[in-house]
Amino acid sequence: MLETLTQYETEIWQAIAETFVMVGVSILAAVIIGLPVGTLLFLCRKGNLLENQFVFSIVNLLVNIIRSFPFLLLVVFLIPFTRLMIGTAIGTAAATVPLSIIAIAHYSRLVEQSLLDVPKGVIEAAISMGASVKDVVFKFIYVEARSGLVLGLTTSIISFISYSTIMGVVGGGGIGDFAIRYGYQQFKTDLMMYVIIIMIILVQLIQFIGTSIARIIDKR
Amino acid sequence: MLKLNRVTKNYAEFQAVKSVSLKINQGEIYGIIGASGAGKSTLLRIMNLLEVPDEGEVEVNGQTLTSMSGKQLRQARKSIGMIFQHFNLVANKTVYENVVVALELADFPKNERRNRVLECLQFVGLESMMDKYPAQLSGGQKQRVAIARALATNPQVLLCDEPTSALDPGTTADILGVLENINKSLGVTIVVVSHEMEVIKSICHTVTIMSDGEIYDTVSCKPKGMQRKENHPQYFVEELTKDVELDHA
Repeated sequence: MLETLTQYETEIWQAIAETFVMVGVSILAAVIIGLPVGTLLFLCRKGNLLENQFVFSIVNLLVNIIRSFPFLLLVVFLIPFTRLMIGTAIGTAAATVPLSIIAIAHYSRLVEQSLLDVPKGVIEAAISMGASVKDVVFKFIYVEARSGLVLGLTTSIISFISYSTIMGVVGGGGIGDFAIRYGYQQFKTDLMMYVIIIMIILVQLIQFIGTSIARIIDKR
Repeated sequence: MLKLNRVTKNYAEFQAVKSVSLKINQGEIYGIIGASGAGKSTLLRIMNLLEVPDEGEVEVNGQTLTSMSGKQLRQARKSIGMIFQHFNLVANKTVYENVVVALELADFPKNERRNRVLECLQFVGLESMMDKYPAQLSGGQKQRVAIARALATNPQVLLCDEPTSALDPGTTADILGVLENINKSLGVTIVVVSHEMEVIKSICHTVTIMSDGEIYDTVSCKPKGMQRKENHPQYFVEELTKDVELDHA
C-alpha cells in the first residue's frame, strides 16, 4: 500500500491542495453571500419582518433553478460566465466559480430553514424592545439559530467536496479528479481505493467537527 | 397615559377587535379578561403596535404611536415593556445576556450596563442566576428574567400577555407579587391580559371584560391582594374540595 502512495505522494498532495482551494472558496462564498441570501429569503417570506412577495419569489426561483441543474451541466453552462469572471474557463481558479454559485444556492436554502426554526415569540420580544431589523437578525435570530447554521454549513461543506470531485472536466483537478485519472483510467484500482479512504476520513472529520461545535454552542 | 381610540383589527374576514376605545391611567394596574378569541391579546399587542390596527389611534405617554415613522416607533417602544406567556427569552443567551440586550438596543451607556442589569436582576431576585441559560431555569424564574429584561430600560408601562398562564398556582402568586411590587415601588403602569379570573382579581385596579372583539364592561375594583400560596400539595387538595366532592382514593 505504502509503495503506491509514496510513488504518487506529490500528485496526491497537489490534488488535496486543489480540493482545499475549491472547497475553501465555496465555503467563503456560502458564508459571505449564501448567509445573507438565506436571511433575505427568510425575512421576505409571508408573515415575516420584511414580507415582500416579489423579492421572495425571484430569489426563491433563482435558488431553485440553480439547485435543479445537474451539477455537471451547470459547470458547462457557466463556462462563458466563468471566462468573464476569471479570464479563463480552465483550471482550479476557474473551477471555483460554478462551485461558489452552487454553494450559495445550497447554503442559502439551509440558512432559510434554520432561521424558520427560531421561535416567533423571540422575534416578537425583540421587536417589542424596539429592535431594528438589523438588530433582530444579529442579536436575536442568528444567536438563536447558530447551531442550525453550523450544522447546515457542515452538510454544505460535505456536498461541496462531492461537487468538487467532478471539476476535472474543466481542469480543476482535486482529489476526485486524481482518483479518476490515476486510479480508474490507469487501472490502479488500489490507488482509487486509497483516495476514497482519504475522502471518507475527511468527511468523517468535518462531520465530527461540525456536530461537536453545534452541540457546544447549543444552549437550548 | 395610554389611550386607544376606536381601534379595529381584522384578520381576513374575521374582526378580532371592533372599534375599541379605552383609557388607562398613570400608575394603575389594568386588567383585560375574556374568553379565548375575545380579542384581548390582540388588543394588548395593539398597544405597542406589535399588531398594527387597521383603523384607530394608539396613544402612549402622550405620543401617538399610530402616526410615527418606523424609527420613532422603535424609540417609543423602549419605554413600553412587554412580557409574554411563554417568556420569549433567547435560549442561547445567558440570563445576563438576555437582560443586557435590552440596554444595548436602547443605547444605554456602556459602562453602566452591568450595574443596571444587576439592579434589575436583584429586583426580581435572580442575581445569583446571572450566568445560567434559560433551559436551566424554572418557568417562574424565566418569567422573572423576562420581567427584568422589560424593566431594564425604565419603561413607563408594562404590557403583560397572559404572564402566568404557563405557570403553576404558587409561581403565579410569586409573579403577581413581582408585578404588584413594580407597580407600587417603581410607579409603572401595568396592563395585564389573562383568562384567569384569580389573576385579575388579585392585582387589578380596573378590569375590562372583552367579548367578541368588543368591550363588554369596564369596572374598577379593589384588588384583594395576593394570597401567598405555597406550592404545597395540600393547596391543590383544598382547591379541589372547593368545587368537587372528594373521595380519597
